[in-house]
Amino acid sequence: MNMNQHIYTTKKAFMILIAAIGICGCKKDLLNTAPYDSVSSATMWTSDNLTDLGVTGVYQTLRLGIANSGATERELYQLDGLGFSSMTRGGNDLVTATANSSSGRFSNTWKELYEGVARANDAIQNIADRSPSSPEKKARYIAECKFLRAYFYFRLNQVFKGVPVYLKPTAVNGFTKERETEAKVWEVVVTDLTDAINEANLPLKYAKGASQYGHVTKGAAYALRGKAYLYQKKWAEAAADFAKVKDAGYSLFTGGYKALFKEANEQSDEMIFSMQNIAVDGYGSTTQWYLGNRESFGSGTAAGAGWNSYYISPSLVDLYENADGTKFNWDNVIPGYSTMPVNQREVYFLRNNLTPAEMSTFAAKGLNMALYLPNGNEQRIKMAYTNRDSRLNATVIVPYSTYLGRPLNGADQNYTMRWPANNDQIPVLDLFSDSRTQLFYLYRKFVYEGSSEIINRQYGAIDFPIIRYADVLLMWAEALNEQGLTGEAVNKVNEVRARAGIASLNSSAATQVNGQTDLRERIRNERRVELAGEGISYFDELRWGTLKEKVFGPGSGVNQVWGAITVPYVWKGDYITVWPIPQTEIEMNPNLKQNPGW
Amino acid sequence: MIICTAIFLLPGIVSAQNKLITGKIKDKDGPLPGAGITEKGMETNATLTDASGNFKIKLKGNSQILVVRNIGYQTQEIDVSGKTEISITLNTDSKGLDEVVVVGYGTQKKVNLTGSVASISGKELSARPITNVSSALAGLAPGVSVRQGSGKPGSDGATIRIRGTGTLNSNNPLVVIDGIIGTMDAVNPEDIENISVLKDAAAGAIYGSLSGNGVILITTKKGAVGKNSVTYSGVLSFARPSNLPDFVSDYARFMQLTNESARNMGVSEVYSAATIQKWQEADKNPDGISASGVPNYVAYPNTNWADWMFGKNQVVQNHNVSLNGGTEKITYNISAGYLGNKGIMDNTGLSKYQFRANIESKINKFITLGTQTFISTQSIGKANTDNAFNYLWQTTPGIYPIYEGKYGFAPAVEEPVTNNNILTYLNGTGGRNKETRINSTLYGIFNIYKGLTFETKVNYQDRYQELSSFALPIERWDFSTNTLKTPLLAGSDLTTSFEFNKNYTLTFDNVLRYITKIGDHDISAMVGYNQFYYDYYNLTGSKKGLIDYNITTPGSATDISNAVGGTEYDRSMRSWFGRANYAYKSKYLLEGVLRYDASSKFAPENRYGFYPSFSAGWRISEEDFMKGMSDHIQNLKLRASWGKVGNNVMSADDNKGNYDYMATYQKVNYSYNNASNSGLAVLKIGNNLLQWETTTLANIGLDATIFKGKMNLGIDLYNKITDDILTIPPIPLTAGTASAPTQNTASMSNKGVEIALGWKDKIGQVEYSVTGNFAYNYNRVTKYKGVLSEGYTTDANGNSIYSSNIGLVSSSTDAIPDGRILEGHTVSEYYLLNPYKGNGSYKNADGSVNKNGGPKDGMIRTPADLDWVKSMIAAGYKFGPVGTVGKGQLYYGDLIYADENGDGTYGNNADKKFTGTSTTPKYTFGLSLAAAWKGFDFSMLWAGSTGLQYLFNQSGINSTRTNLGNAIGTRIANDHYYYNDANPNDPANNINAGLPRLKWGSSDSQTNIPSTFWLYNASYLKLKNVQIGYSFSKQLAGKIGLSRLRVFLTGENLLMITKYPGLDPEVGINLSYPTMKQFAAGLTATF
Repeated sequence: MNMNQHIYTTKKAFMILIAAIGICGCKKDLLNTAPYDSVSSATMWTSDNLTDLGVTGVYQTLRLGIANSGATERELYQLDGLGFSSMTRGGNDLVTATANSSSGRFSNTWKELYEGVARANDAIQNIADRSPSSPEKKARYIAECKFLRAYFYFRLNQVFKGVPVYLKPTAVNGFTKERETEAKVWEVVVTDLTDAINEANLPLKYAKGASQYGHVTKGAAYALRGKAYLYQKKWAEAAADFAKVKDAGYSLFTGGYKALFKEANEQSDEMIFSMQNIAVDGYGSTTQWYLGNRESFGSGTAAGAGWNSYYISPSLVDLYENADGTKFNWDNVIPGYSTMPVNQREVYFLRNNLTPAEMSTFAAKGLNMALYLPNGNEQRIKMAYTNRDSRLNATVIVPYSTYLGRPLNGADQNYTMRWPANNDQIPVLDLFSDSRTQLFYLYRKFVYEGSSEIINRQYGAIDFPIIRYADVLLMWAEALNEQGLTGEAVNKVNEVRARAGIASLNSSAATQVNGQTDLRERIRNERRVELAGEGISYFDELRWGTLKEKVFGPGSGVNQVWGAITVPYVWKGDYITVWPIPQTEIEMNPNLKQNPGW
Repeated sequence: MIICTAIFLLPGIVSAQNKLITGKIKDKDGPLPGAGITEKGMETNATLTDASGNFKIKLKGNSQILVVRNIGYQTQEIDVSGKTEISITLNTDSKGLDEVVVVGYGTQKKVNLTGSVASISGKELSARPITNVSSALAGLAPGVSVRQGSGKPGSDGATIRIRGTGTLNSNNPLVVIDGIIGTMDAVNPEDIENISVLKDAAAGAIYGSLSGNGVILITTKKGAVGKNSVTYSGVLSFARPSNLPDFVSDYARFMQLTNESARNMGVSEVYSAATIQKWQEADKNPDGISASGVPNYVAYPNTNWADWMFGKNQVVQNHNVSLNGGTEKITYNISAGYLGNKGIMDNTGLSKYQFRANIESKINKFITLGTQTFISTQSIGKANTDNAFNYLWQTTPGIYPIYEGKYGFAPAVEEPVTNNNILTYLNGTGGRNKETRINSTLYGIFNIYKGLTFETKVNYQDRYQELSSFALPIERWDFSTNTLKTPLLAGSDLTTSFEFNKNYTLTFDNVLRYITKIGDHDISAMVGYNQFYYDYYNLTGSKKGLIDYNITTPGSATDISNAVGGTEYDRSMRSWFGRANYAYKSKYLLEGVLRYDASSKFAPENRYGFYPSFSAGWRISEEDFMKGMSDHIQNLKLRASWGKVGNNVMSADDNKGNYDYMATYQKVNYSYNNASNSGLAVLKIGNNLLQWETTTLANIGLDATIFKGKMNLGIDLYNKITDDILTIPPIPLTAGTASAPTQNTASMSNKGVEIALGWKDKIGQVEYSVTGNFAYNYNRVTKYKGVLSEGYTTDANGNSIYSSNIGLVSSSTDAIPDGRILEGHTVSEYYLLNPYKGNGSYKNADGSVNKNGGPKDGMIRTPADLDWVKSMIAAGYKFGPVGTVGKGQLYYGDLIYADENGDGTYGNNADKKFTGTSTTPKYTFGLSLAAAWKGFDFSMLWAGSTGLQYLFNQSGINSTRTNLGNAIGTRIANDHYYYNDANPNDPANNINAGLPRLKWGSSDSQTNIPSTFWLYNASYLKLKNVQIGYSFSKQLAGKIGLSRLRVFLTGENLLMITKYPGLDPEVGINLSYPTMKQFAAGLTATF
């Protein structure tokens, strides 16, 4: 090879080199990548659409705590398991006295409620500063977000009693504030709600079917502010706000207690503010899953079935009055029932026509089989559940009642709760629970019936009430009664009782109200039976200071229908009525002081 | 750029002479194919011997000297003046002085290395029944810790750590295959020529920001000039799990234990006496026919799930064919491989096909073009092994797995209806899981001028995965009554789903090299540019309502509500780099490296990183004063290096954190008025100050070859400091549920020593070698969020208050929730409660309770122990975390904890202490032994780690919690505390047991909580591989037309020595697919 050739090749190589460098030079934006599935903080809130999406993001905080792997113990209805009306299947850390300040219950509740605060703070500030939406819409959205922020602080204050307050977007290293007093947090709540109420662009109420339905209304703000006043024992202010709720057009649903909780009536005038659910994965409820039983919908394992993670407590069942307003008494159905040892009572719940093998099994268990009526046992026990407050059978699946469950042979079947439950196939159709070696009162309320109501346990369609008018009426009654306005208060209670089809107060000797104290107790009981499973009862007991007395008395525990204890309740100390500041939060922010006892 | 300019000023000399030399190269066994012959001084004039060891070369320069090289042999220089035909016998290399080592963007003679590089030859990997490269590296190189976390086909790749845990996120080393970033286990082990592990900055800095965790370079085999050779190698192996989890399989006993746990808690018993009796009766006559017509062992089962899941021996077969050869113009190595691994569990098998073509063509003297192209495709069974392992401890022995094709359902009425038959998780899903990789590099090498070459490469890699799944209908039966419990699902309830995901990378790489020698000065220099783009996206969908089980395409499903999903992310990098080497008489060695990187993962103002490194070597053995020693010391070199490298990976998962510097709002779900309505919310908080993590590495090394090459020694001391570590430290709960921002928070140091020592010799006709390596790594977090201060202060009221800032200055990670990151401690050091230790005296002399007089080992064993607890509480002391005495709270057989801070509460958060240990081994070591005698060869490889601990308290296996439908570990069943307080003389009482009492219910916050009670030493030593082979002599092999034939027997993972009570310390803490013990036979034949 000669020199020329060499130079030629060298030239060629250099051309390639130059071309190569050219290729790499031309892609200037190589390094400027951007996410494909999200919006950066630089552009968020800067269009009308992004404003809508951002506000919906605040609402979505209401759904935190919903999980598809098991009950989180943080959804509202699940919190009843801490109180009077309901029982967590295996007990929970607050009833078995095993909770401590590191328990996930406290940290997760804190975190999720403050997430709501953070999103609301972000929205309130940025809608005002950056959104190009119309002034009316912006004003309405800010009012809605203030309501939501108030709701989250309300929930925090209910259990932690005085928490740090952040009302502006805060950087992660800025969470160093001390706790405010409980009273100060109520003030914050009332201020936000008052702002919402004073906002002209916030409607009083949305009509059924309005496209905005599910957004906050002024009625909701009045209801929540009234409740906040109740916590502060500002009875007159509370009553005035509850009256405004009525003025806004909210009223009791008249189609019956049971129908109220069905999809058709989820936008009835009784519903003031509810968590919106639709039957789409990620958008629905889980009540049918964690309250439902094995016969709840589904035609096989893949469709899933209910886990009955929560039971109704026998104390609640016993609290439902007879239809005539007299107190229910077991001894009137089965003489001597209330004085016999609880484990012996099981004999009364046995199904008719037990096999000899079953007879001997139960005899071996120590039951007095002489009390068993082979052909009349079911009829006898059913008497205990008939002629009662209609809300009993709308709330509870009681022994020997039926439940319209999943389809077999192509048709939904009526399953009967029998003891023992032997066979859930046609034609026997015993109702199976997920704990069928023991017999518990199971939820009927919030449990979907038949296969037409639900397509999947992960996502039920029915909105979950956060505030409804019956709750408002009973709080109103409470506010009136505490002011000594007994007569007015009785009227509010009677509105609720009338809808339930139960004798009115002051209509008979048994229902005669004897003064403020008597009415106070009657209002409390009315709330316990009316609002069972709605995530209200536990907080009521905390507010009234009645938790220990009502929930941790003798014989308390996770009780089978006859009272047998499967998991005993243990009172850890009075301090458990105020939740601890989560341990890690105390560690990361030394300015926070722990509640006493923890 | 100054270097480049200098390169062109250097003169070249071109002259020619044309003398043809022919010859034959042999070793002691016969002709040596593939040996390299180079004309000295004319490095581009080279050839290789053909299959018969013959070569031809035309001399072009005037040195009259040929250099003959072959890896593993001593290089010889032959003076051919006056000769045209030569015959040379090469001696195997006992010195290793001419060993060439692959380094980043080039090769270097090992003696000239100034960096710390471990080199592993492909031969050390071949002929082992391994299914992937990564797991085969165990024990082969010092400072390279290899942990195989699973034996699942397709997921059996190992985790590799070079010089300890350097960062809090991904510690995976960079893998570079033939110069291009890639995936280690995508390479067929049989295609590998060599693996180099770059450990220090001097070696790694050329990869700059990517090399913070070390670099592994893989070079695949190239074609050799000469006659074609075809090599077949095949291995057939039998695989069994090396260990199995051990659960109680006697169901009656299981039920009694469960009832015991319920009694312990004061809650109702779970299983009725009638049910237990049924099993006890049936157990008396297991083969008897039950009322339902099936044998008792089916109707009333006592299932050992581990045996059913893993009980099968499976055959793994591995076949590879390669075609190697070429002419002076074109060389090629083309290979095809098949791996069939049926897996020890149903429906987990893998089959993999791999093809590679490495072809290089010398277009002319100046241009060489070539390609490395690789295609593989693998299919894996659809068994849901994640579920199977997740449910393995969430099932009971009371379910018969499968009988006459029918799957079993728990016959006991007490079992939840959701009882888990593990086999249904393995066999319940059909569909496809197929992954295909296409990886092609096209390269051109241009010899621009004497010593000056330009190399350009374009690489495109495409990996895509096709997934589909649909439920295979399974019925479940209660065999005790012969009733169908779970009928087949109707087609309308079945769902079919699919996913397609794909990622591709485009790399463009250009390097200009110059090499020259001026007198005694060897100079080389290199500059380069690289750009890289990676993109991933997927598309998922599912649809319900199959018209028939067998009709499973989404298009044929009936439900109109579809779920379609998909995501996408990308990242890119741009880099400039350069290196200069200088050597004087191969005695004094100097090297400098610079690299400048820009990454898309950081905000534009923070995205550039600069990485320099410098190293030097001194070959003491070349000094005059050592000449007298040359009989004893063949090589003695001192190396030192310092440099900076980086890391831009923000998570343990390399694919996460691509946009972490931006705060982003992502989609969340809500509805209004029954219409779905998306929202946006911040789910990850951004941090636009993010920048590179920087690792500064200093290394001093000594290499020695002594006793006539019989002994090789390498010692490295290193100090590796990583600053600005990218982590995601926890944020206050008050900040909400959004993921915490990624931050540059911590600094960490890893100091260590690595020693490799080898001995090679001959006793009579037996050649043998022993090679050991050992590494010690000392890890400390040097900077995090501040110094821990804890202790007592006096408040305004004069009360002594204990305070600690542990939450401020320290945090845990998701991976090790009970380990913490804190300055002055090893990373993720366990931070745990300690069980109380008392002296058992209970009372002081004055009758008051003695706080040091409680139970000796922290377990409440006797009434006196419990009384002491009560007296303590009465005296104002507290016990945590539960605190109340009672069956369901704190009782007999529970642990109590030491009051480490002396605040009077035994077992609150302030009583946690650092243990000084973590899950990361402090010492790793390997030992390989090899011997050869005539045709026989033998080798053995041991690998192990010590100085690591695992907190092992998993429900169902090593926890005394019991729960409905959960298993009970045999270890727990055999040695747990029991005390019937109603009957102190109950023969079942076992108050001296090693483990605490059984506790019913999933939550026990007293005993089964993180404490040193559940902390175990997880050190292990494993016999990784044993191999015996026989190579037939050339003559014998020749008779059947082969040039080489070797047969071998080998065993993998044959022995594990450990005290860890779990499955396998190498697999990790909890249950998962075990590693495999394999026995294999194979052969390698070359035609």
